[in-house]
Amino acid sequence: MGRQVAIASAGFSEHASKRSDVSMPELVSEAIEDCLKNAPGVEIGDIDAFVNGNMPAFEGSNIPELWMTDWMGARNKPLLRVTTGGTTGGTVAISGYYTVAAGLPGIDTVLAVAFEQQSQGDTSVGLASVAYGEISILNTLGIPYEQISRLLSAGAAIGVAAYQATTYMNKTKIKEEDLARVVVQNRRNAAKTWWAHLKMPNLTIEEVLDTPYVQYPLRYGMVCPASDGACAMLFTTEEKAKDICDIPVYVNGVASVANETAVLGYDGSGSCQIDPSMQLGAIRSAELTYSQAGISFPRKEIDYAEVYSPFPNQELMWVEKLGLFEEATAPEMYEAGVTAVNGELPVNCSGGVNATNAIGASAMERPAEAALQIMGKASNQVPKTVHTSIGSGWGGSLNLITLMAMSDQPRRKF
Amino acid sequence: MQKVGIVGYYQVKLYSDANYGRYEMIFEASRGALDKAGLKKKDISTVISCTNDYYDGRTISNCFTVEVGGGYMADESKVEMDGAHAVLYGLMRVLSGNHNLAAIWGGSMASCYPYHTVRLYETDPTWERSLAYVNDVTSAGFQMRAYMEKYGVTAEEIAKVAVKNKKNAAKNPLALKEAQLPNITVKDVLDSGIYADPVTELMVAPPCDCVAALLLAPEKQALKITDKPVWITGVGYNQDPYYLGDRDLSGCKSMNLAGKMAYNAAGINDPSSEIDVAELFEANAHEELIFAEELGFAKKGKGIEINSAINGDLPINPSGGALGGNPPCATGLIRIIEAVKQLTGEAGDYQVKGAKRAVASGQVGMCAQNNIIYVLEAN
Amino acid sequence: MSKMTQRKSLDYIKKDYVRTRTLTGSWYLASYKFKFNITHMKPFLEKLKEKKLIGNQCSSCNRVFYPPRQVCGKCLVKPDKWVDIRNTARVSTFAISYLKDPETGEVQERPMVLVHHDGADTTSIAELNPEIDVKDVYVGMPIIAHWRDETVGGLMDIEYYDKFIDDSDDIRYKK
Repeated sequence: MGRQVAIASAGFSEHASKRSDVSMPELVSEAIEDCLKNAPGVEIGDIDAFVNGNMPAFEGSNIPELWMTDWMGARNKPLLRVTTGGTTGGTVAISGYYTVAAGLPGIDTVLAVAFEQQSQGDTSVGLASVAYGEISILNTLGIPYEQISRLLSAGAAIGVAAYQATTYMNKTKIKEEDLARVVVQNRRNAAKTWWAHLKMPNLTIEEVLDTPYVQYPLRYGMVCPASDGACAMLFTTEEKAKDICDIPVYVNGVASVANETAVLGYDGSGSCQIDPSMQLGAIRSAELTYSQAGISFPRKEIDYAEVYSPFPNQELMWVEKLGLFEEATAPEMYEAGVTAVNGELPVNCSGGVNATNAIGASAMERPAEAALQIMGKASNQVPKTVHTSIGSGWGGSLNLITLMAMSDQPRRKF
Repeated sequence: MQKVGIVGYYQVKLYSDANYGRYEMIFEASRGALDKAGLKKKDISTVISCTNDYYDGRTISNCFTVEVGGGYMADESKVEMDGAHAVLYGLMRVLSGNHNLAAIWGGSMASCYPYHTVRLYETDPTWERSLAYVNDVTSAGFQMRAYMEKYGVTAEEIAKVAVKNKKNAAKNPLALKEAQLPNITVKDVLDSGIYADPVTELMVAPPCDCVAALLLAPEKQALKITDKPVWITGVGYNQDPYYLGDRDLSGCKSMNLAGKMAYNAAGINDPSSEIDVAELFEANAHEELIFAEELGFAKKGKGIEINSAINGDLPINPSGGALGGNPPCATGLIRIIEAVKQLTGEAGDYQVKGAKRAVASGQVGMCAQNNIIYVLEAN
Repeated sequence: MSKMTQRKSLDYIKKDYVRTRTLTGSWYLASYKFKFNITHMKPFLEKLKEKKLIGNQCSSCNRVFYPPRQVCGKCLVKPDKWVDIRNTARVSTFAISYLKDPETGEVQERPMVLVHHDGADTTSIAELNPEIDVKDVYVGMPIIAHWRDETVGGLMDIEYYDKFIDDSDDIRYKK
């Protein structure tokens, strides 16, 4: 059952903190246009089905693809909407993969689009309302409202990441400089990526450490920006991909595994993740993906990785959890330059989420950029030849991890 | 398309104001489906949920449902459309060969928020929303008027559909209590409060609380789990343009195209004779007629001539359809479940005799902008 | 793309030329009612009145939930046993939030901690004694629940968590 899926092309819109020159549908068109420009043989009419997603709460529009239909070229075409919060982009890419892999009659070429125009809404309200329902329950159980507002301020994405950063730093005994080093690497990389948001070619560790704390141990300079942007990916079958592009990128494994929620449980109960940096979901995702893709030694076989890391501690954590480095060794590797553009295992050469974060699109930009590195079309192309790469996403309450493994050879195990 | 089996299902009873917590309801549905199939939590390999951030009042509405929906350490995702679309994603995952058992659940609690106000957030923020002239209720009025004018159908004839569905709902123990009206007449429907003329209150599907769950397995696995699986042999889905002016409201092109895709997959040439029962998600009474015509059960404008009673030639919505209760995000899923009940002979009072092949549909958007249709066959 | 929307290119959009207008709108969370269960919390809240802590236990995987949970996600069953929990706990992890007082403009440093009670398998969000210096907080720090003088059977019966010296040998955390 199923069939081999290939990525024929990927495209981005330009990212900025406020894209007030375009409306949301125009932003989406921009990404689609860039995607189709990279695949000269494909017209919008050749696309058989669409998959899309964003985080609806951030723009104040529910199911926006209803009124964006024509802008995506999806008029009277099959369309599916998938959203899962921070991982939305990753899940959209994965469902694009499944739409092709399922082999439904008449559906061969699928365009997956993920987008976010955060300047249209209030992201902090959107993020606080993730836990608003759960935390307000505590009020009826006797927690005063004043304390709840404190919990809410600590409960948004930066809050849960801060909890995670504390445990990770405690486990690996790293200092803030190690975190800042990751930030510097990302933002310098972003300066070479045309669509990235925070481009800082001359950033230094001292500059990052000079900024005040948002929430201990994370400083303003370490936190991802809020961007407007969109990303599109073109999935197709193995045969068609060979016609469309010179180097088709084959998707060999996908997974999106959820663990129990961290920090706060459902209905205001406790959380079963005692250590938020344990990330069993990521480990299981990696297991599933690598087993599908036939990767036995991820450390040796993977040439390039794009990981979803709005905060630097997460980048260090994910590369370990996804099997690229030994536990607690990632900070050393960053110091040694292993993960730099010309290093042995380059990570986040696009600048990553730390430099560009259009939340709904971010998790799709990771596999998209990882695929472009294999095709040799990335704007910050690594000098070595990339055969196998991965792109990950993170979302929910520290609990959902998406992962996609790609290669220039069709190696999916059936 | 390869066959995929439906091996288990569960639906919580519909309530207009349920005395349930959100997570309790989700748990009841997901556990109930597993129990019906005789499976364990660890057998689930993927979970697809269907909720909507706006219907739940939470950003990332599937964030805290991992535990209760059976998603712990399973490959999990969420579809933000109708429950029937979530089944599609589950189906794709099973068809891809990566997964052996997909659990799909969907639903929300309409008693927790003003349903028609929240539906306004689905409209274009630049034009429709700021004026609020076009929303889900008024667009239904446009659609019904367009259909009546074009084919000379009267409001009484459309009211008959509501009467049939409300009477059918009275036989369905899981239907919404307020919608179970065994003695309803055409006059009652026409005399009920006007929503958007000519649509009256009893012609609109009443929003309510419910969560439903479904289990899918590939052919080999399904036969191991149960002796009576119901097979999904065809599926089609399609999206219309948004602006009502771009569409012919007296018909539904997306349903037509979705139907063609599904029939093509299932190898159906003459739908009106090959299909024994239909469960259609009609958000308003007239949509049932439009869908039936687009699916080829009758000629255009002749939908009213179909004998669609439970003992008729082609029973439509023997369970009462969405007029018997419309829990947002679950209705399409419930239509599939009701069709499965008909095919396995578990429907009780509203059982259609000898049903072998059924269709079930789901929809999203104003005037059914995005439609999905399944062809289901008994083993 | 259909003919009606076909355009040649988006190149005509000049980046410095603002061609959009802003419309205000909002997502009213306040109009939502959240329903949740209280039945599974009842024995727990009643015990709080007696200054005792209990959690419920899943008989399938033996995990203990404090505060009680309705469903064990791992096994997808309802926990059915009640077990006692000690009032001593560890700091599972913490974050420091910097809250500005709207009146005085003073920045308050408040550590929000995840508390892992001895005998439980879950953590819960809580606050420390405001007198504890922020710099002294560390992962694995032993703490003890500080009860209010008059308990009413709510979560606020534990006013805050106090530092205490742990001389038990059963669990060893390192600083």
